[in-house]
Amino acid sequence: MTAPLSDGAIASLHAGDIVYLSGPIFTARDGVYRHMLVEGNEPPLDLAALTNVTIQSSPAGAEVSPGEYRISSLQATAGFRYARYMPALLERFGVKMVIGKAGMSEEVYRDVFMPNGAVCLSTMGYGLGAIYGKSVKRVIDVHWPEELGISEALWLIEMDRFGPLLVEGDIHGDSYFSRANEEINDGLAELYEGLSSPVFRRLGEEERPEIELF
Amino acid sequence: MVTSAHRIGLDAVSRAAYEANRLAAVVLPGEATNAFRDALERESKPMAQYVLGQILENADLAVAENRPMCGDTGLPRFYVKVGNEAAIEGGFVGFERECRRAVADITQDLQMRANRVHPLTRQNPGNNVGVFAPSIDYSFEPDADWVELTAVHKGGLFGSDYRMLFPADGIDGIKRFLLDTLSSSARRGLSCPPVVVGVGLGGTKDQAVRFSKEAACLRVIGDSHPDPDVAKLEDELMELANRTGFGVMGVGGDTTALDVNVEIAYTHTGGIPVAVSQFCLAYRRATARIHADGAIEYREDPRWFTPYYRREGIE
Repeated sequence: MTAPLSDGAIASLHAGDIVYLSGPIFTARDGVYRHMLVEGNEPPLDLAALTNVTIQSSPAGAEVSPGEYRISSLQATAGFRYARYMPALLERFGVKMVIGKAGMSEEVYRDVFMPNGAVCLSTMGYGLGAIYGKSVKRVIDVHWPEELGISEALWLIEMDRFGPLLVEGDIHGDSYFSRANEEINDGLAELYEGLSSPVFRRLGEEERPEIELF
Repeated sequence: MVTSAHRIGLDAVSRAAYEANRLAAVVLPGEATNAFRDALERESKPMAQYVLGQILENADLAVAENRPMCGDTGLPRFYVKVGNEAAIEGGFVGFERECRRAVADITQDLQMRANRVHPLTRQNPGNNVGVFAPSIDYSFEPDADWVELTAVHKGGLFGSDYRMLFPADGIDGIKRFLLDTLSSSARRGLSCPPVVVGVGLGGTKDQAVRFSKEAACLRVIGDSHPDPDVAKLEDELMELANRTGFGVMGVGGDTTALDVNVEIAYTHTGGIPVAVSQFCLAYRRATARIHADGAIEYREDPRWFTPYYRREGIE
């Protein structure tokens, strides 16, 4: 697939598919979400005009000479914790594909992703950093390095066959991880059976292991 | 008794610290490669088979291109074992300066991720060096005039936890805690299985946490604790971890843990402190021994848990 993605390309993706992506994408996680979506700082370029794909990642990269950046290795971070930022990101910046790690809840897909015609993908491995790093064709630019630090800055990068990426939440609301977790839950309760109950139960230590996202 | 007329030079410390960090970031140890191959052979789920194959390809590519094996390059740290007869030019103040400089240099040269930030302001110095960073831990070894350093780049934030149990909770309490810890981190990418699990059992709270980390990072995959009761618990916990079925990426699979290592410390008669740490599939560590004459040997086995380190009596 090539970014920016058409509506047709997005609609063709199904949970469990494995895809490779080329074209421009931008990084955004804690720092960019706070700076751009909460504090309302406008990005220094028209993001929506350039691409509709973002990755929740802070790359392994450095400024190798003044103004020249290089990425050696790349991996997304666990994405469920960014659910609260998704409405603004998708509605205001026209993002159609969020590449994270291990997806978000089906509720977020239903309430935020589906109405915006967007999908959620997951990096794989987790730790195919060298493979993903090699697929970075070039760093187009790095924005807000002073404000956010080099790791949380907004990196604009051009990819060449970036993958394998797992389609996690598709446009029909189907989630690969939710399906996988249902299967795992079937066997999990059995492992607790027969273990004697704790002598002392304390607040915060009792969990229901079948709950997937708290 | 070994005595040495030599002092280890800081140039040797500098080279050893730099190269051990490069090896840790780039080269998956052979024991881990073998463990992934075994896991791939055993695996029954097609998606998990595919991902395990990709992990092995990624390990090869990292070495071929001198790239960090994972985009989260972890928090570089050092475990240092000091021979009782060793002496360092410039002392340990000089030694630590070289360790800190090596982390800054390798961060820039390998384009490692600058992970270390101020916990409140989030200010990032850009070189993985800061207040108490990198951490440097020490142990000692009798009748030796070398100094060894093991660079560890453990990733992740979650998957490590602590609980105080009562003696009556026993093995069941330890198993319940392991299941709780794995379940709360394996599903949505907070841990990166297949992991190497370290369990710290006993001691004080801080010792339990410390030994769980050392057990996850500094044992060899497939080895056993010399105490047969502890070794038996390791086997039981390993079986339990893999029966969860989380598998690689938590998408379902036969291997959730490549190994479970338990370290014990004598503890208060009223309790069982227990801590769990998980080393992600980017199993990153490398050891350098710096001899008194300045020669450096690199190896994969940290040899951290020596009989002296685990000693029971006064001597």
